[in-house]
Amino acid sequence: MSNYFYVAPEQLIKDRAEFAQKGIARGRSIVAAIYDVGVVLVAENPSASLYKISEIYDRIAFAGVGKYNEFDRLREAGIRWADGTGYTYSREDVDARALANYYAQHLGDMFTEGQKPLEVEILVAQLGNKFRPTKLYRIAYEGTISDEADFAVLGGDAETIKGRFAELEIGHLSLAQTLKNAVAALAGPDRVLPVSDLEVGVLEDRGDRRTFERLDDDQIARLLT
Amino acid sequence: MGLPLFDAQSDPGPSFVRFAEMAGLTRAPVTSELSAHATTVVAVRFADGVVMVGDRQATSYYVANRDVRKIEAADRFTALAISGSAARGLEFIRLAQLSFEHYEKMSDSALSLEGKANYLSPLIQRNNLTSTLVVLPLLAGWDLAHQRGRIFEYDGAGGCYERQDFSVIGSGTPFADSTLRLGFTPDMSREDALALAALAIYEAADNDPSTGGPDFVRNIFPMMVTLTSEGFRELDHETAEATFRSINDRRAASGGVAGGTLR
Repeated sequence: MSNYFYVAPEQLIKDRAEFAQKGIARGRSIVAAIYDVGVVLVAENPSASLYKISEIYDRIAFAGVGKYNEFDRLREAGIRWADGTGYTYSREDVDARALANYYAQHLGDMFTEGQKPLEVEILVAQLGNKFRPTKLYRIAYEGTISDEADFAVLGGDAETIKGRFAELEIGHLSLAQTLKNAVAALAGPDRVLPVSDLEVGVLEDRGDRRTFERLDDDQIARLLT
Repeated sequence: MGLPLFDAQSDPGPSFVRFAEMAGLTRAPVTSELSAHATTVVAVRFADGVVMVGDRQATSYYVANRDVRKIEAADRFTALAISGSAARGLEFIRLAQLSFEHYEKMSDSALSLEGKANYLSPLIQRNNLTSTLVVLPLLAGWDLAHQRGRIFEYDGAGGCYERQDFSVIGSGTPFADSTLRLGFTPDMSREDALALAALAIYEAADNDPSTGGPDFVRNIFPMMVTLTSEGFRELDHETAEATFRSINDRRAASGGVAGGTLR
């Protein structure tokens, strides 16, 4: 016969939160910001093939930090949800807010009921049009969803990076300037991030239905000079 | 629909159709007497790619629709044309477009042209063997890896065949096919290929009541498309009009007789 020990709910939540935070803090951070005509997502990522930023739908992008296998499964679920919803109804009916809510519910469920909480923090970005606003939804490991006004930072060192970025980025600037500020905020005063360690995705209207573009090293270097 | 999460064993992978089936989004094949049919599209290889021309008419007992788009871009470098049941065909185009994009987003790489052609085979097979609403597509595209235009045609059982010269689908096939047989030469120029493909559609419309020709009254003309290293391009209305007007003028001048030449 096994013995059950009483654990106070406060303690249980605290332990789980600490566990998730520790996992997330091990990874590098991501800055997502709205610039004058789009949204840019910038990740510090030495891998050129295991992406943290990707396309979900015509005007929606995804970014995740923490355990790769966990946020990648959420990314796949997001693409399936978006393509399935667009197929069932219409492409116009695919809304980032609905997706962000589903993510929040799932992360919340995993935090309270799962074997272990997911060690991830994710972001759903939407480029606005005449029907919908440009939005950044940040969803934390326990399911807290926040609607960030101009920019969002994900990852362990979020508060420091947030402070640095807020000092540089005032108002909605150009893509090049916003990217420079994001890279400076991610690097901090003592480091220089090489272009090969950057992963950058952009949502911007270029006349096509799909607005997501992954920038290659040359494009990033050109914007940073 | 909630968040579609799967465990590693039941994960449908990057295939949209498999996911849609698991999520119950696909429609079961049905049978109906009352359905419109779409007819006659040709694809012709030329030196720098493929040209496609397709008529615009959907026919049930009467003319059901005069401006159907039977050729659509499946993605930037691929075109998909349909013949047979218009309802199933248009759904088929939608499913193919979505599947190619879904694969690309899920796996961060585009399917090869051959991969796209093969992906359609089981979809055609399943539809045509379970429903009287038969659909026969035609896939053409610019193969980025091999740097050439390629055409893939299908039979009713889903068999996929690559064609080196040209391909025709739809009820006007005998007439369009004969025209292409007589007029085709390898490595034609873009202009010659477009003129020949347009003539094939003109012939089909002239002889097959289910194929719509140039409609000078309503100002509707067959669709003309090119697939080259620049991707899918649809020619503008003026070009299509000029092409079909000149064929029509020549034919009118000779009193409706081709007279032993491709005119």
